[in-house]
Amino acid sequence: MELFLNILGAIATVILAFIVGMSYGGIVRKITARVQNRKGPPWYQNFIDAYKLYSKTTAIHHGWMHRMGPAFLMVSSVVTLMFVPVLNNGGWFENMNFQGDLIFLLYIMVFGSLGMALGAGQTGNPNSAIGVTRGLSQMVGFEIPWVMALVAMMIQYKTTSITGFIEVQQESGTWLMFSSPFAFIAAVLAMLGMFRYSPFDIVGAPSELASGPVSENGGKYLFTMMSSGSIFTFAKLTLYVDLFMGGANNLLVLLIKTFALYMVPVLYGLVSPRYRTEQAVRYFWGWPLFFGLLAIIYAVIF
Amino acid sequence: MQKLKANLIEHINSGFRDAVAKDYPNENRLDFYVNKQCIPSILTYAKDRLGYIHLSHIAIVDWLEEGEFELIYIIWSPEEKIKMFVRTRVERENPVMPNIDMIWRQANTYEREFREMYGIQFQGLEAPEEFILEDWQGPPPMRRDFDTEEYANETFFHRPGREDAGDVREEIIKRSREEIPDFAKKYSR
Amino acid sequence: MSYDKDSHKIFDFIQNWARKHSIWVLAYGTGCGAIEIPPTMTSRYDAERLGVRGAATPRQADVLLITGYLTTKTLKRVIRVYEQMQDPKYVIGFGSCTINGGMYYDSYNTIKVLDKYLPVDVYINGCMPRPEAVLAGFAKLQQLIAEGKANGAQKYKENLEWYRENQKRISPHWVMPEYNW
Repeated sequence: MELFLNILGAIATVILAFIVGMSYGGIVRKITARVQNRKGPPWYQNFIDAYKLYSKTTAIHHGWMHRMGPAFLMVSSVVTLMFVPVLNNGGWFENMNFQGDLIFLLYIMVFGSLGMALGAGQTGNPNSAIGVTRGLSQMVGFEIPWVMALVAMMIQYKTTSITGFIEVQQESGTWLMFSSPFAFIAAVLAMLGMFRYSPFDIVGAPSELASGPVSENGGKYLFTMMSSGSIFTFAKLTLYVDLFMGGANNLLVLLIKTFALYMVPVLYGLVSPRYRTEQAVRYFWGWPLFFGLLAIIYAVIF
Repeated sequence: MQKLKANLIEHINSGFRDAVAKDYPNENRLDFYVNKQCIPSILTYAKDRLGYIHLSHIAIVDWLEEGEFELIYIIWSPEEKIKMFVRTRVERENPVMPNIDMIWRQANTYEREFREMYGIQFQGLEAPEEFILEDWQGPPPMRRDFDTEEYANETFFHRPGREDAGDVREEIIKRSREEIPDFAKKYSR
Repeated sequence: MSYDKDSHKIFDFIQNWARKHSIWVLAYGTGCGAIEIPPTMTSRYDAERLGVRGAATPRQADVLLITGYLTTKTLKRVIRVYEQMQDPKYVIGFGSCTINGGMYYDSYNTIKVLDKYLPVDVYINGCMPRPEAVLAGFAKLQQLIAEGKANGAQKYKENLEWYRENQKRISPHWVMPEYNW
């Protein structure tokens, strides 16, 4: 019975993540439009797009790995979501947690991109290959400050479990973004690259690369990628909220916190043009890396 | 500049007796009318000895009434700052020209275009047969005796026009209460 | 399982509604018409509020927007692009040149009537059509999709021989890829 409830909870979590992620995407499109002095599509536009993509025929395939690419992405997103505690007090959205799941998450978050890279490689489209190399270089860029921030947090609070961090915040009563500010700054700067909004949208630059790794994928492949992207967005935002902003006691608080956090890359992206690959990597190895180092020093001293 | 030009005419005429020079007194320009066989040698001479190292352009004129093509090689000396026009004529029926792409590599592109658009053969030109046109079946399209409308009517589908198509100007005038300017009247159907 | 006609109808209605409100356009920028697309997409006319959005590759696109004249060379590429698109797919012919050749009626290297080579769902008249006309064209396409009448791809599939024959007439030596979906 307990197992059954857990499975049901997991499914509910995925559906919630899908709906919230898609709505966020739609709201972001609306905000982008308003900033550009347009009316913009309705907030549910992404759902229509997703349904339309799902209803398209998909009569192409370039081999086994190409078909597996979107599936890898989906698996990575869902597994990430499974290990991120959505609410503090569990309930329906209680997920799998164990000591050390933060380190596990670091690996599993990269897994999807690697699978996608393999899938894109098999299509034989030169745009895909360029997009993949760009994406992996960018990942090398933002993973370093991100890992440094997490390592600093682990040293400072002597735990590698996300629930551990939530407990620390609940005991002390302050959010970790205030008690370890440098780690938070490094992590937020790394988040800019993680969400691939401009100026770090070098992977899927539409006019330059014909949407990069995605360029051979239409119809149901693109639907899978779109929904996994939404789930992954929600999972990452929840992870940030859990780590730095004290988690959330109910859904409303969670939505407010994640949305506020999501606005950081979105609004930063709206006013920035696209970087080139080496500029992006140089950006991440500049100030974010500095703050990461500072965070580790801060953690070791205090 | 006149001195330079006189010097140039003298140099060219010493080597090429039949080159007829034509001077444009107030321009930095000098024309030479030569036989088509002289083209490679005169261009080589101008490039190697006289400093005309830059091939600006190769132009072509279709003299349909005289039955000839005129090719104009425009070369330029950055030191003397004089444009030299080397003009030659070639018959329209089966035109064959000497190839100069070993002197200037960029001449290759011009020659390929002339071969495709005018049907001029260049001796020893090594390039694929197709340049801009793909699957071309008609005569060379840039010749003046090529009737594009007739070709288009034969090759492509056309949508039939409307039966009641007429001159709409009267109606427009009636609605807008403006007058047709005189120059426009002769274009009305 | 019995075939329920009414539920099928409702399913079709939802599907057509989604397709109608999410049109991803692959703007094939031949000729001068491409310059009318940016004003249509940006703040003045904002086609995105109707769900019209640019797609980067034929695999993701629903509508092939052919903006202006097609030379015999670009026609080949357009046919390849069209055949790479996934069902359901629509073609919009944009400008007079796609309708009857426009000002290139006597040109030796542009085709005059597009619907002999590709199935066109909607034509937008004008030289060039202004963004209002483009939006009107999209509205017409949306109406056709909602009524289920925008079946150009079906027509192409059924009359493939005829289309192939016309295409071969333009470029006889071209080895065409097989059309298999």
